[in-house]
Amino acid sequence: MGLLSIIRKIKRKEKEMRILMVGLDNSGKTTIVLKINGEDTSVISPTLGFNIKTITYQKYTLNIWDVGGQKTIRSYWRNYFEQTDGLVWVVDSSDLRRLDDCKMELDNLLKEERLSGASLLILANKQDIKGALTPEEIGKVLNLEAMDKTRHWKIVGCSAYTGEGLLEGFDWLVQDIASRIYMLD
Amino acid sequence: MEDENFTNVGQTETLDPDLQKKHLSMLERLSNRNQNRLDNSLTRRSESESSSSPSFESTSSFFSRFSDLKCSIESQLVDSRTVSLDPTQLKSYFEKISASISDLEKLVAENSYFLPSYDVRSSLKTVSDLKQSLENLNSELIPKKKFSFKNKANRKESVVAEVKEPPVSNCNNALPEKMRFMVPDSPGFRSKVGQVLVESFRGSEVGEFTISDLDSCEVRIIGRLRALFVHRLKNCRVYVGPVMGSVLIEEVEECIFVMASHQIRIHSAKRSDFYLRVRSRPIIEDTSSVRFASYCLTYEGIEEDLRDANLDDETGNWANVDDFKWLRAIQSPNWSILPENERVRIVDISTRESRNEKRNPPNKSFLQGLILCPLGA
Repeated sequence: MGLLSIIRKIKRKEKEMRILMVGLDNSGKTTIVLKINGEDTSVISPTLGFNIKTITYQKYTLNIWDVGGQKTIRSYWRNYFEQTDGLVWVVDSSDLRRLDDCKMELDNLLKEERLSGASLLILANKQDIKGALTPEEIGKVLNLEAMDKTRHWKIVGCSAYTGEGLLEGFDWLVQDIASRIYMLD
Repeated sequence: MEDENFTNVGQTETLDPDLQKKHLSMLERLSNRNQNRLDNSLTRRSESESSSSPSFESTSSFFSRFSDLKCSIESQLVDSRTVSLDPTQLKSYFEKISASISDLEKLVAENSYFLPSYDVRSSLKTVSDLKQSLENLNSELIPKKKFSFKNKANRKESVVAEVKEPPVSNCNNALPEKMRFMVPDSPGFRSKVGQVLVESFRGSEVGEFTISDLDSCEVRIIGRLRALFVHRLKNCRVYVGPVMGSVLIEEVEECIFVMASHQIRIHSAKRSDFYLRVRSRPIIEDTSSVRFASYCLTYEGIEEDLRDANLDDETGNWANVDDFKWLRAIQSPNWSILPENERVRIVDISTRESRNEKRNPPNKSFLQGLILCPLGA
């Protein structure tokens, strides 16, 4: 267990968390990151590649990797898996047609060994849009109850447009990661 | 008898073929006996361990036992190349190894309730690796003739399995999925042929809207939307008021779109024209022969709607298209800017006077021209 204690010590010193944001295109990943950071969200182009944002959140430093979700670049997600503490899966709750795609991509992601230790936050985004599915409904479609019992996960409804639900989600994520890595010191 | 054997060993140097044969068989016997002894001690050890395991609920004691067993199995596997050439002997030897591997598996299973999940997984991985290498050795060392017969049988089985499996898994996946959840129908135009479809959202709050599976239709949407999904359109004209969120267009062919939105994504489109006003850069993916021009829609009160949707400024972004299938500095061959003289001028979809003002004929003839000589070909 020597290695684990060394890793813990290093992480404790830096109080850093690495968070990976993924999800289908048009789910609102970039908008969420900008909204959390208090930036202007009125002009956002579909992400070609990725964005990194370093945000101070409570007493932690979050390195948020926001990776583009277009089909062509989904195969590059794997390049960002290493050392991920928290995984944020963003769902467009108003895009009913592509929920199957969404489920398939999430299932593939969760098979990934390198992400097996990461806490999973599912953001059911676009709750402000009339006709959007509720987080409970999204949870049913994604069959979250069937997930590996060892995984720490939570689904939260949110709106990147109004900002609602974002803090609730990230509070849980940061607390969960902290309790694993820093043993809540 | 052992004395005799030893004297024989001394005499092998005389290279008497008879004696040499004897010597070899003796060595074989000895190594077999040694192996048996090892095996026995191994099974004995694992027995005592599995019975005592509940009393040692510690990860480290589990690991020391686990690695002991693992090492002995590995060395047995290595030894199998030198043990014997006789297939029947080899077979029983492999069976013994297989038994000790399952003992190892049992050990993991018995201790899994207190082990960290990662350790359980990695231990099980080790077990399956051992099984795999045993399998490999088995197929490598046991004579081929016998094996080819086995192979045939295997192949048959696998074919049957292949045929059998997909329908089973399909049923399993599809049925419960549908039963578990019925997707409610969101507002939209669906599955129509050759119609003019008109919707006005002026003064009412509307969420997402879906336009799908249309053939040779004209769609006019007046007022503001939050999100628009367009899917599987052929030979259609789509005129849409300001969209405050995003537009997602998939699988369209030979269509004309006139729309304003904060974000526009176009997937799998062919031979279509887009007259856009976008706050961000529009993107295309798996798309070819599409052309872009600036927004040209009007209806009574569109100025107000555009202002409310924050889309009253012409950003010029309609021409800044990102092609995700063409990540290079030079211009993508999949899209181009629609030449000024080929553009539709103004499309008016105001409810009353729209009939006579419509530019349907020019659109139609223009589309035909486009089909005849696709751009960039």
